[in-house]
Amino acid sequence: MNCQKFESLAADLARGEMMEVDVLSDARAHMAECSSCSLRLHDEEMLTRGLHSVAVEMNSLQASEATEQSLLASFRQHSIVVPLTPTRSYRPYWLTAVAAILLIVFGLVAVVWRSSNKPPNEIAVRPLTPQVPMEIKEGKNDVALKPSNAVNVSTQPKPKRNLSPRAVQAKNFKADKADNTVANHASNEVATDFMPLGYLNPALLQDGGQIVRVEVPRTTMASFGLPVNMDRYNERVKADVLLGVDGVPHAIRFVQDKRSQ
Amino acid sequence: MKPKTDLTDAELLRLMMSGDEESFTLLYKRRHPSIYRFALQMSGSQQVAEDVTHDVFLFLMKDGHVFDPNRGSVSSFLFGVARNYVLRRFRGDQLTVPFADGEDDEPFDQVGNEPDPLEDLTKAEMIDNVRRAVLSLPERYREVVVLCELQELSYGETAEILGCAIGTVRSRLHRARGLLLAKLRPNKEEEVLSSAVVESARCFA
Repeated sequence: MNCQKFESLAADLARGEMMEVDVLSDARAHMAECSSCSLRLHDEEMLTRGLHSVAVEMNSLQASEATEQSLLASFRQHSIVVPLTPTRSYRPYWLTAVAAILLIVFGLVAVVWRSSNKPPNEIAVRPLTPQVPMEIKEGKNDVALKPSNAVNVSTQPKPKRNLSPRAVQAKNFKADKADNTVANHASNEVATDFMPLGYLNPALLQDGGQIVRVEVPRTTMASFGLPVNMDRYNERVKADVLLGVDGVPHAIRFVQDKRSQ
Repeated sequence: MKPKTDLTDAELLRLMMSGDEESFTLLYKRRHPSIYRFALQMSGSQQVAEDVTHDVFLFLMKDGHVFDPNRGSVSSFLFGVARNYVLRRFRGDQLTVPFADGEDDEPFDQVGNEPDPLEDLTKAEMIDNVRRAVLSLPERYREVVVLCELQELSYGETAEILGCAIGTVRSRLHRARGLLLAKLRPNKEEEVLSSAVVESARCFA
């Protein structure tokens, strides 16, 4: 230990502060070697004693009786003028009342919301198996597919799970919402009939399918015998591709926004 | 139901805030001496100490609800309030702390004929000198000395009152003690030097 380190510890040593045994033994060893540090510790100890003497001497001092009387008078006056108890005691009751009102409001909202939805029994009856409602015009080379609702085609058969009525209701609510979105979207578009890509076996679509929206070069329409506006031949056109469960495309239809017509 | 004298400070404060005069009296009697001494040791003036004690407890009866038991004890809270009142008094009233630095040398000059003034610190005269030396310290060092040394609070309690880290309290106390030693022993180095010369002379003798 050097003198600088000892100096930083001198006050704690003099005040009898707790420290590690190693540090204490090092400090003692250094003190035995260094007379100036020994003197420094001696001074610190004397200072501690002096300060302690001051503390002891002043220990009996306290404020005068007049201060206490003045404060007591203020306390009596204060407790009469500003009664703190009633205002503070009502606070929990107010909080409880507000919480109760909020609970009632939420309960009413929940009841109204629940009653405005379909009953759970009706939802449970709804078939989960996907259907591909298509009309297949046979007798010609091409097969025209008219899906009544394009999105319904994409649903895959899923194992029925034991869902709670509320979960089923929430799920159905989301599905209805999605259906509406697509319906609105579809109403803004004009589409051709589905045209088969190669040989189309209707049996393949009994297990369901999926329609994927893609963009293809406008010249693709020509390969299906559709007229192509040559002024816009380099643009792309939207198309819905009907994929089977095996992922193989079976049919295609071209879609155009009504606005762009 | 336990007697009120056995209640903690926080319980007494709660009762006091609900208008219980006995609780106020008990709390006042329990805590006012240390607050008074703190103000006296900080200011060196009995009048200031009386005023600060009065103001602290007046504050407590009006705004005692601001005390948060999670942040410390009632005692620390009162010390903190007292400290603010003392500092406000120093700044607002332009209170001059008696015994400026220049005057400190005088009492030590008078006892300079003794071999080592620090040896007699326990004497009444030296107690007075220590008190003067404490009063001459800058505020930030003085409050640490008063709280740690004279009020004998722990570093943690002092840090709580001052609103600073324990390390800050330690370093300020270290610095304050160094200043006190310098004030109490202005000619120490010369004395050490002279004693060293004597010792060496003896060795060679």
